[in-house]
Amino acid sequence: MPFDWNLVGVSVITVFVSELGDKSQIAAIALGGRTSYPKAVFLGNASTLVLASFLGVLLGEGTAQILPAQIVKGIAAIGFALMAIRLLWPNAESNG
Amino acid sequence: MKDSSVPLSNLNSADTAAPEHSKQKTPRAKANFWGVFLSTFVTIFLAELGDKTQVATLLISAESHKPLTVFIGAALALISTSLAGVLIGQWLARRVSAETLDTLAGILLLIISVGLVGEIVGL
Repeated sequence: MPFDWNLVGVSVITVFVSELGDKSQIAAIALGGRTSYPKAVFLGNASTLVLASFLGVLLGEGTAQILPAQIVKGIAAIGFALMAIRLLWPNAESNG
Repeated sequence: MKDSSVPLSNLNSADTAAPEHSKQKTPRAKANFWGVFLSTFVTIFLAELGDKTQVATLLISAESHKPLTVFIGAALALISTSLAGVLIGQWLARRVSAETLDTLAGILLLIISVGLVGEIVGL
């Protein structure tokens, strides 16, 4: 069976376009800009996305049943809000 | 009788050995790297689960019956978008003062969090 490069191209373009300017990339910009560990942000961001898409391919719609989207997104929202508050808090400067 | 108690001065010296404002290349900095890695990993993982990218990969792989191929494509795209994101952040960091950048980053993260709440309400 020949390797389907066409399909790789379709996946790359679709995912790249749908991810461009999406919240994970915005988070990468926000976190990557102010941290002294851009590599950690890149590794964390990329590995997470790869794992998420792996689960998407593997489990398909099963993910929604295993983990209810509302709760998962709620936890993520709290996580981002906490990071935002830590950044915006007047005396929270210069901590990692 | 032998005195087995540890001299107090030894315990104290361990505390004072760590400098107050050490920035990099210390064990603390190493731990911080994994802290940054973990917090990025967890928040983005949770935010991405069930997001449109995951739905897109699911749809393409269901249509083509070649999950591995789709996964490779998706992984390549996601690695490049996160690399681009971090590079844009670093580029901004060289142009904007630290305080402005912190405020900007904070506002961006707040927008993401509000957006996620919007998605929950809209579901």
